[in-house]
Amino acid sequence: MTAPALQQPSSQQTPPGAEAPRALPPPPPAPPGAPSHRLRFAVGVLVASLVVTGLSWMLLSRARAGAALALEERKATVATLALADLVVRAGGSGDGVRQALAAWQQQAPAGAQAKVIAFDGLSLEAATDAGLGAPRRLQRDEKPLYDQGQRLRAAVETNREESVVRKEEVEIAAQPDGSLLLAAPVELDGQVRGMVEVRTPRVVVAPSPSSGSAGLALLLPLVAFFALALVLGERRVGLALAATFALALGVGFYAWHSVSVVVEDRRAASEEVADSVRTQAETARELISRLGLPADPPVVASSWDADAFRKPRGWLTAAGQVDAGVLAGRLAQASGDVVRALVAVALLALLLLQAIGLGSVGALGRTLVTHRRAYAYVAPALVGMLVLVFFPFFYGITLSFTDSNLLNTSRPLTELWVGLKNYVDILSDFDLSRTSADGARVANYTNFYWTLGVTVVWTVTNVVIGVSVGLLLALVLNTRGLALRPVYRVLLILPWAMPNYITSLIWRGMFHQQFGVVNHVLALFGGEPVSWFETPFTSFLTALTTNGWLSFPFMMVVSLGALQSIPVELYEAARVDGASRWQQFRAITLPSLKPALVPAVILSVVWTFNQFNVIYLVTAGEPGGSTEILITQSYKFAFEKYRYGYAAAYSTVIFGILLVYGVFQNRVTKATEAV
Amino acid sequence: MSAAPGERIPHWPLHVLLVVAVVLTIYPILWVVTIAFSGNQSLAISTLPEDPTFWDRLRAITPWPQTFSVSNFTSVMTEQPFGRWILNSAIVSLATTVVGVFLACTAGYAFSRFNFPGRRTGMMAFLVSQMFPGTLMLIPLYIILVQWLGLGSSHIGLVLVYATTAIPFCVWMLKGYFDTIPKDLEEAALLDGASSGQIFWRIILPLARPAVAVTALFSFMTGWNEFILAATFMDQELMYTAPVGLRFFVGGYSQQWGYFAAGSIIVSIPVVALFLFLQKYLVSGLTAGSVKG
Amino acid sequence: MLRSIAKLLCLTTLFALPALGAEAKKLVVWHAYRAEEKAAFEKVVAAFNQQNAAKGLQVESLAVPYDAFADKISAAVPRGKGPDVFIYAQDRLGGWIEAGNTVEPIDFFLDDATKSRFLPTTMEAMVYRGTTYGLPLNYKVLAMIFNKKLVAKPPKTTGELVKVAKGLTDPATGRFGFAYNYGDFYYHSALLNGFGGRVFENGSTPVLNAPENVKSIELLMKWARKDNVLPKEPSVAVITSLFSAGKAAIVFSGPWFLGEIAKDIDWGLAPLPTIDEAGGKPMRPWITVEGVYVAAPSKNKDAAFEFARYLTDVPAAKVLALEGRQSPANKKVYEDPKVAADPVLKVFRQQVEVAVPMPNVPEMSMMWSPATNAMNAITKGSTSPKAALDKAQEALAKDVASLRKK
Repeated sequence: MTAPALQQPSSQQTPPGAEAPRALPPPPPAPPGAPSHRLRFAVGVLVASLVVTGLSWMLLSRARAGAALALEERKATVATLALADLVVRAGGSGDGVRQALAAWQQQAPAGAQAKVIAFDGLSLEAATDAGLGAPRRLQRDEKPLYDQGQRLRAAVETNREESVVRKEEVEIAAQPDGSLLLAAPVELDGQVRGMVEVRTPRVVVAPSPSSGSAGLALLLPLVAFFALALVLGERRVGLALAATFALALGVGFYAWHSVSVVVEDRRAASEEVADSVRTQAETARELISRLGLPADPPVVASSWDADAFRKPRGWLTAAGQVDAGVLAGRLAQASGDVVRALVAVALLALLLLQAIGLGSVGALGRTLVTHRRAYAYVAPALVGMLVLVFFPFFYGITLSFTDSNLLNTSRPLTELWVGLKNYVDILSDFDLSRTSADGARVANYTNFYWTLGVTVVWTVTNVVIGVSVGLLLALVLNTRGLALRPVYRVLLILPWAMPNYITSLIWRGMFHQQFGVVNHVLALFGGEPVSWFETPFTSFLTALTTNGWLSFPFMMVVSLGALQSIPVELYEAARVDGASRWQQFRAITLPSLKPALVPAVILSVVWTFNQFNVIYLVTAGEPGGSTEILITQSYKFAFEKYRYGYAAAYSTVIFGILLVYGVFQNRVTKATEAV
Repeated sequence: MSAAPGERIPHWPLHVLLVVAVVLTIYPILWVVTIAFSGNQSLAISTLPEDPTFWDRLRAITPWPQTFSVSNFTSVMTEQPFGRWILNSAIVSLATTVVGVFLACTAGYAFSRFNFPGRRTGMMAFLVSQMFPGTLMLIPLYIILVQWLGLGSSHIGLVLVYATTAIPFCVWMLKGYFDTIPKDLEEAALLDGASSGQIFWRIILPLARPAVAVTALFSFMTGWNEFILAATFMDQELMYTAPVGLRFFVGGYSQQWGYFAAGSIIVSIPVVALFLFLQKYLVSGLTAGSVKG
Repeated sequence: MLRSIAKLLCLTTLFALPALGAEAKKLVVWHAYRAEEKAAFEKVVAAFNQQNAAKGLQVESLAVPYDAFADKISAAVPRGKGPDVFIYAQDRLGGWIEAGNTVEPIDFFLDDATKSRFLPTTMEAMVYRGTTYGLPLNYKVLAMIFNKKLVAKPPKTTGELVKVAKGLTDPATGRFGFAYNYGDFYYHSALLNGFGGRVFENGSTPVLNAPENVKSIELLMKWARKDNVLPKEPSVAVITSLFSAGKAAIVFSGPWFLGEIAKDIDWGLAPLPTIDEAGGKPMRPWITVEGVYVAAPSKNKDAAFEFARYLTDVPAAKVLALEGRQSPANKKVYEDPKVAADPVLKVFRQQVEVAVPMPNVPEMSMMWSPATNAMNAITKGSTSPKAALDKAQEALAKDVASLRKK
């Protein structure tokens, strides 16, 4: 650790190996003339309160807007399912449907519109808008309507067939003008034969939460802190505690306020839904008797308050009243959510507060200025990496906490959140062997730990082969005055130059049992042909050979380059001292190679760990998946089994293993240190 | 076997070793050559006549086509705009090399010569970026490059991706090499009044030529053989790169290995040419006289 | 550094500019064709462009390597960056439909006249959960390819096949009467379906270990082990090489194989034999159908569908058949004297009559890996067909269930 401070004499002040922006580095001693602790903490409390109140206010208003929209959606769903029920009773098509729709419109809120589609003959059976001229055949620009109906039909059939409810049977789409467009299937005798579409009047925008309580939540911590600061003076620890307390006071107040607002909203909403269910039920019963529609099965209006899968939400009793027990439970859940969100925001703000209060923000700024030249040198490369590598990386990690798969790609990730479940599934499966049908224990090759073991062995053997062969050849090629060196060099890098897609497959062909040259060579020397891909060990050998062949040229080139950094004078001096060739190698060559070779080894460990092509093309996991490595396994989960979340978790585990290795290796070799 | 000059080591064992290594190395490649010149489309298999003699067996394992034909080469070059695709590949890979090596040189220099907070974290960050497997990267990369940056169907997009893929290795490699260059050189130059830019360009980089050559070759190869991103991001046939063109021959059911082999040979020629060009830098490191002590 | 970033941005805008001037009525079609298939396809596109020049409608085609095609579609189309029309086999169809915003349903456009122009099995391949998503363009199906020098009359039944093959097999010198890539379920499908087997029931419920499937593999094992007429470790490359070297007399493979045979081999084509062991029922290979799909985010869906109709009409089909050497799904084209006289097209047309569309459900992609593992274990002789299929079924059922939970 003798880093020279060529241009930056001031860099000596930083302790060696100090790490960059950490959240809370140990407080440096306050330099003379720095602002007082009280002032810093006061600024901290102000900023933190602003952040916490601002964010909470935003969260609250979004939650209220969301709740208002959800309420409108629920009421609209009730109206839509009620209409679908009537259309079914009216037989799905014909005059009865048109009468039912007309009657439905009379009780519907002003501005509500509806259409009824029958799939037979692509017909617009009825519409509240007389200008559409129903009944008639659907026109070409109404194709989306028909496709939507077919989608609902497929959804109902799929849910029934798979006996897993996963496809939406009621579609709700918010329109640009603020209204809602709903579609529900019309099911006759167990078959979806048509669709109803309902367009609600414009949804009223939800009221913003009062700014008075937000102001109070902002003011409260400030006042509290000033009062405490007066008492405490310039005591750092005391001030830190006081600031924390003040912040907690503000958060506590706003949490109480938010919970009461949300709970009140929910209670009112469920009453409103219950109300609309009762109204719809009444209208339905009246229509049934007036139009002479079949009254069997009886109307179960509470089932109209359903989710997108047409499953009743369960808030209402059969009579259409709010079920108090269910409501209390849901309200408790809602307030729990509010509190959790606010606590998360508060923790963030607290971090900010302490960072400002303890002075690390200022220190960070000073560091950036002092070392601006070094940062300027690194920044271009780092920015490119940030944009193109780290975004996909965080995308992958986010995905790993979800149950995202092919069948639910259209749903937002927040709905698919499963927390650590994927990781638990992967890591807690210790089922390394299982009992086969004939009672024998056989290894379970798809188990994570088996694959991990294979991967580790694969990586170690490959890197050892690659480095030793590459280094050996580089040393030989570095011999002074050796004839034909350029020719050897060019021939030896050919495996790197040629696309490995074809050479990998050539290698696979060379290991063929009947027609492969490897077995022919064995036969030449009287050996028996080997069925290379029949046992895990021989199959592994084929991949190892191929990858060793593919990877040594790279190591050779790196070593050749590194060998140039050794001044010849060193050897001369050593020889004068009477060192043997081996001693020279140990004492001069190897240490001089280290700075270039160590990063090459670390990176080739990483690349070999994730070497997809060779395994995929040469062994393809044969036999029975025993020679898969983690990366090919994760590929299978993503692209054969379509389990994106699970595959992402697999990838993240791979990443974690490599990260641990990287940190460990770095500690041991001090590769990041200057020599 | 060390590089010590003036020592009398007999050269013939080294030649034996190298010849064996070369034979093992080029043997599979000779099969590629055999397929390419066979005029046929099938991968070679080696079969034996009844009651094979030693020579029959030897013939079976010798990569030599039964008939000679250059038809695979002519078809590859004429049926598709393969020349154009190789040119595209060359442009993309050379740009990748320039961008990658330049960014890596500056970053590697900073990591080697400056001690600043975040140095180790920064170096780890470069390393870490290689650790996340690329299985699920295609879609997010597509979102960034095509949707956000609007770089779909442009070679710039490819260059950016390839360069960021190549940079971590280049940074580490160069940093390691810079570390071996004695600091007294720079300190002497500093005393002579050279600016830090001058020191970097005039003193450090020329001394690091072997490492720059290695990283250049590596960056070039990163772009040269990449297939899936090039095929996904390019929306015009004339923008494709050579690996994309090659894969047309073996995709799906139809597998024309003769064409693929011929194309592979054509594609590896520029790499060999580049290596020949870089060779002299690879073996011209610190020479006596440039270093004091 | 700032300057170079600025330069970069300038370049970016330069590249983006031409895209702004695009015409409103330009259709883009992506396909994975190569060589003569591509030439024929482009000829059809040119003819369409000429016909529609007055309307200002032009179609541009882009060939994408098969290996990158599906990924490219999945990345580009749902984000609105893809083509208006694309052509691909039906095996990925279900996956794209489930992923959403990729393939446009076309039932609404489809009239009975259009529907009835296709061979029924090919149309069936375009239907997913009761909705039609594409027009079938070409199909690919396995048939029997034989070396005329070695086999005078192609066998009509499996009994004859084994008899002919036995006389031509000598494993010691690498000669086989009969060879195909039997370890691959795609190739095994001919026997599997011939016995009445299947891999999915009621849409996507896996039944990999159905008794019919076991029986079909038992027959295969009889050929490989007892009659000893099949090579070991079959692979597409090995089979092609064997046939091209004149060392395999009879091969089961598809139209793609014909272009890979060495020029000096005199080959013939015949339908797959009937299965004596299944009461003389025909072998029923899976067909893959290349469908023309309208991309869901396309802005010119009507024009795109018209183009799809044009591609699958008789004049286009004739060009694709005679110049592209493909088997069109349009059945009327086989009445054309030139097409009818073509021995290759005739055999594939005969074969498709008994063929089964390969399932287009997304779960299909989960089937290959366990099935291949089972086939490898069985052909290496380490497991009985029943036990191996039971294990594969267990794995597949688990994968299917884990996809569907919730």
